[in-house]
Amino acid sequence: MRRRSVLGAGLGAAALPLAGASAQQRFAGREVVATAFGGPSQDMLQRMVFDRVQRETGARGTQTPLLSANAFARMRAEAQAPQIDLFMFSGGQHVQAKADGLTQPLPAQPHFANVPANLKDPEGHWIAWGLVTEGILYRPDKVPNPPKSYRDFFRPEFAGHIAFPHITNGYGTDFLVMLARAHGGSETNIGPGFDALRRIAPRANIFRSAAEVQTLFASGDIWIMPYDGASAMRSTNMGIPVAYAVPEEGAPYVLLVGCVARRSRNADIAAAILNGHLEPEVQAAIAKDVGWAPVNTATQLPTDVAPFMAPTDKLAHLDRDVINASRAAWTDRFNREISR
Amino acid sequence: MHASARRGLVAAGLLAPAALVFALLFVWPQLGLFLQSMPAGAPLAQYERFLGDSYYLGVLGNSLLLGLCVTLVTLVLGFPLAFLLARAETRWAGLLLLLTSFPLWVSAVVRSFAWMVLFFRNGVASRLLQSTGLVESNFQLIGTFAGVVIALAQVLLPIMIVTLYAVIRGIDRDLEHAAMSLGASPVVALWLVTIRLARGGILAGSLLVFSLSVSAFATPSLVGGARAHFMAVTIYEQTLELLDWPFAAAIAAILLAISISVALTYGRLLGDAKEQAR
Repeated sequence: MRRRSVLGAGLGAAALPLAGASAQQRFAGREVVATAFGGPSQDMLQRMVFDRVQRETGARGTQTPLLSANAFARMRAEAQAPQIDLFMFSGGQHVQAKADGLTQPLPAQPHFANVPANLKDPEGHWIAWGLVTEGILYRPDKVPNPPKSYRDFFRPEFAGHIAFPHITNGYGTDFLVMLARAHGGSETNIGPGFDALRRIAPRANIFRSAAEVQTLFASGDIWIMPYDGASAMRSTNMGIPVAYAVPEEGAPYVLLVGCVARRSRNADIAAAILNGHLEPEVQAAIAKDVGWAPVNTATQLPTDVAPFMAPTDKLAHLDRDVINASRAAWTDRFNREISR
Repeated sequence: MHASARRGLVAAGLLAPAALVFALLFVWPQLGLFLQSMPAGAPLAQYERFLGDSYYLGVLGNSLLLGLCVTLVTLVLGFPLAFLLARAETRWAGLLLLLTSFPLWVSAVVRSFAWMVLFFRNGVASRLLQSTGLVESNFQLIGTFAGVVIALAQVLLPIMIVTLYAVIRGIDRDLEHAAMSLGASPVVALWLVTIRLARGGILAGSLLVFSLSVSAFATPSLVGGARAHFMAVTIYEQTLELLDWPFAAAIAAILLAISISVALTYGRLLGDAKEQAR
């Protein structure tokens, strides 16, 4: 009963594009369940996306907060009879989900075309709707000449003023990989990265938790560190001047992705929800309030937000499979060679 | 016979609730931990990995050294304070003791954050050291072993003081007076009488502080930062970040074995101290 009205769906597909509550409600009486990352982003998305889709199509959307790893475990456990239709992942689980046959292709939506090809599945099984873009954070009041490259961590004026995250922090791993790339290495040839890090480490502050980023910058002592643009925006909003630079080697990123359980019968609603995430005004609001960069290239960011995000053509695509497989070995080496 | 059997029964009855809680919440999970540290096929592999690696032995050494240093610092700072508090003949003595234990009311995380602010290069503590000329101008206490010792000593000092206070308070002042009337200088009387008699408290306080420092996590990881290579921090990393639970369990078991043997040694010393004091 709560599932679908075949007639309604058929009519809806043939009907005009969404035109407000007065139009034919193509998903009337149906429900869709999605996972969420929790916190302020969830409330905002409920208001700007789920409630709006309900107004326009009649489908009621519910979000349930689940961390990516737990969400993936749930997706796998409920593969035969999914309780959740739309899964949001931030840890790259979508690749595994598709490989394991847990996903299904999404019906095309108007905004999907504006997402760059490398941020969506060629067969339509998943699509990104947000990015956490990494790069170089610095104090513009102490650093008149902005950093441009990961090699700039060796500029003499920065000695004693550098901080970088421990390798068990995801950004710390990405920093290692980007240093390797900047010095002729790669994910599979990490040696040059460790060599570079060993030169920076003796006079650098190595920190573990995200909570320390603001403390470090506020101390006045730390002028430059590799981290994400959203943290720079938060610091600036707190009154600590911190700017964000997209390195010429590219900005590593964390992808926020949606995909639909293979046996879900609500792929059409889920696709409409994802399309709602990709509305330029929603993309801009997510960027401003939460700090996640837009993937819809048609998005116009406000001028006080844009400087803290990397555009989609400046991203560095890291090989997450190699990185995940190397994590234990790299952590061990880091403990012995870098954080002495 | 009958009476002693009944006494034994009463003792068992009194002990039962605590023993039950202890068995259920400590011994049982601890056994699970041991089992996890010995995967079938290679039961000792995780222990060999730890004990055969100079890096991990260094981590163990760091933790033990940290425990030793913090114990010494809290003892040296805590004894005079506890002595003064115990001997203060003022109505304010109770309030003073309360003030001393004040830091215990604040989470160790908050206190460690406060130390972090002081320990950065521009922080008060680091500046003070720089101005003495003993260290380089860019010296900072954050991320150093000394910094962790200072912060942890402050966190644990009240425990030492409260333990010593109770013992010193119980020492009869007339014994000191007797020593002095027999010609001992106050310093000698302090040494021969007070410190001898307070030995039990000194050992108990040291044991508490030592075992708490060896297993401390929040302060070493916050103040020591990424350079904090201590046991608890390593266990955390292996458990939550690398998900190598058998190895984490083995490290935890090694830490527990060391803590227990230290406690037993202390117990022996404590027993001897009581014998001597008699």
